[in-house]
Amino acid sequence: MVKHSISTSAVVGLGLLAAVPVAARAADVYLPIVVPVTGFMSVAGGSQRNGAVMAAQNAPSGLKVEAPVFDTGTSASGAATALDKALSDKPALAASASVFGTETVAMVPVSADYKVPLLTISGLSKLTESGNKYVFRFLPNDREIKVAHARYVVDTLKAKKIALIGDTTAYGQGGYNLLKEIFEKLGDKPVLAESVEPDAKDMSAVIAKIKDAGADVLVIHGVDQPMALLMKQSRAAGLNIPIVDSSSIVEPTATALFEPTELKNTCAETASAPETRPTPEIAAWADAYKKQFNEEPDSLALGQYDAVMMTMSVIAAGAKTADEVANALNTTTYKGVAMTYKSNGKGDMSHNAEIVCWDGTSRIPKVVATYSDADMILK
Amino acid sequence: MSILQLVANGLVLGAVYALVTLGFVLVVNATGAVNFAHGDLVMAGGYAAILFGSWIKLPLLLLLPLVALAMFVLGVLVCCVAYFPLMKRPPSTVFISTLLTGIILQNTYVVAIGPEVKAGPPLLQGSNLPLGPVVLSPQAIATVMVAALLIGGQYLLFFRTPLGRQLRAVAQDREMAMAIGIPAFRLIAITFGLGAALAGVAGAVLSNQFFVSPTGGVSLSIYGYIAVVIGGWGSIFGAVAGAVIIALFQVVASAFVPYTVATGGLYVALLVILFFRPQGLFGERIQRRV
Repeated sequence: MVKHSISTSAVVGLGLLAAVPVAARAADVYLPIVVPVTGFMSVAGGSQRNGAVMAAQNAPSGLKVEAPVFDTGTSASGAATALDKALSDKPALAASASVFGTETVAMVPVSADYKVPLLTISGLSKLTESGNKYVFRFLPNDREIKVAHARYVVDTLKAKKIALIGDTTAYGQGGYNLLKEIFEKLGDKPVLAESVEPDAKDMSAVIAKIKDAGADVLVIHGVDQPMALLMKQSRAAGLNIPIVDSSSIVEPTATALFEPTELKNTCAETASAPETRPTPEIAAWADAYKKQFNEEPDSLALGQYDAVMMTMSVIAAGAKTADEVANALNTTTYKGVAMTYKSNGKGDMSHNAEIVCWDGTSRIPKVVATYSDADMILK
Repeated sequence: MSILQLVANGLVLGAVYALVTLGFVLVVNATGAVNFAHGDLVMAGGYAAILFGSWIKLPLLLLLPLVALAMFVLGVLVCCVAYFPLMKRPPSTVFISTLLTGIILQNTYVVAIGPEVKAGPPLLQGSNLPLGPVVLSPQAIATVMVAALLIGGQYLLFFRTPLGRQLRAVAQDREMAMAIGIPAFRLIAITFGLGAALAGVAGAVLSNQFFVSPTGGVSLSIYGYIAVVIGGWGSIFGAVAGAVIIALFQVVASAFVPYTVATGGLYVALLVILFFRPQGLFGERIQRRV
């Protein structure tokens, strides 16, 4: 029987990170990592892979883990095929699944067939709303984190004329539609709501519309490239209203596209911001990550690290089968590096959000607001 | 933002698309082959600009010849790998071959450079310049000038030089051209090289303002193809016009209707052109293409 409370710190043993490849050791636990390593989601997928690999290398004492990486290729069919291959190779107790909601949706039926828990960090709300008991999400559901996003705009910035811009990817449209709905429920219907193609180059038309609408805040939800272009071109066109972005912009690879001054008056929601090293645990983890992968970590890497660490901890505590792992993930409270995880009964494990802002002097933001649990649910 | 400013921004984006399309139409003109790796070569040019810009501290405008030279070599390599071994096969074979070459290039970028979006160095630095009611950045002005120079240069090469006549002869009938002593294989390799050099310059130019990424070339290949279809196969002027039309749809039309409607409108316009004028706006005859 698995214990229902695990308090072991997930960072214990960081200094013992194995120098050898994870799969090189004789293993008694198989936890494949099925993420986009190629294609346009490969930045996010790479962070996710790094987090999972790092966790597997830092397995609890006595647990030998094999965690090979399977590339989904940033396509739904590729993701389903890659997961099928991963799970048909040998019995798995769980699998890390793509950050990209479009892919994860395609992976869910495969995991249900094999009855293997998926450990994902995709925010796509419907993933945990379909009644599948094998999906576990370690970053906040978009339905929750978008409430934090909207509340910061309405309650803290006191915005009256919101311009809401999304992109036409599944991720962009998911958050865009939720934000539109939440702003309306909060009594602050956007004066402009529009979506752009992810490969859009020139944003003049959208910027003209934002100016014409007299917006006092620009809220963006989308993938990094069109979002970064919109932000840069807005500032270059003299649009200096506050920008409140989705979490893609918090990735160090996204902020690298900006001069620090271009980020002034910009904020974003995120589940965590490990690059800011806000706690000693996160700082220790972030330093170890940077040493291992030679790059700053992000919330995706940390979320997937915590996901795999929690899974290994319930296995170490006695879960022997995939079903026992799923049951344990549903009933266990786990203190990870980023936050404390607890399922809401649907597989949503993470219920914390932060708002970070840049002051124009550095690419590293500062945490200005935190939201959790009830703050992130709109009645 | 005034309508004139939107048109000016559209023309700058059109200049970038025209640069992309020039290399595309060059290979079409000289070989009859559609190179669907062209957009990925544009990204290679962007990465080359970032690399050279980090090594040599000069404005990118002065580094463009170096980018073009490196890309010429890459273009010849693509020709040797993706075109020569399959040139006698049906056109669809070359289409698939260049498509696969593009995917190989994308994954090479991911492995060698990294999957993240990157910004290149500016062509020129300085303050924005007011030109009447329109304000343009030095980058925008330099982009238009580079595009104009290369469009003119390509026209002169094709229609005013012996090399251009030979290239056109090879495109029209390779066997006949070889029969009269034209070194067709060498000219085809040169054409791929020149096409890649133009793609490289396009990539270098757009890398600062519009970024580069491993898969960023896919949409550019599609735009290049659409521009050629709109303008007319083989027509340099038509390709440039097609590129500008695409850009104006994206920048100006989307100021009046939602962006997604403007994008849909572009493709509806393409269908209308194909229906009523299948040879394109400036094309003279229909040729068999992919």
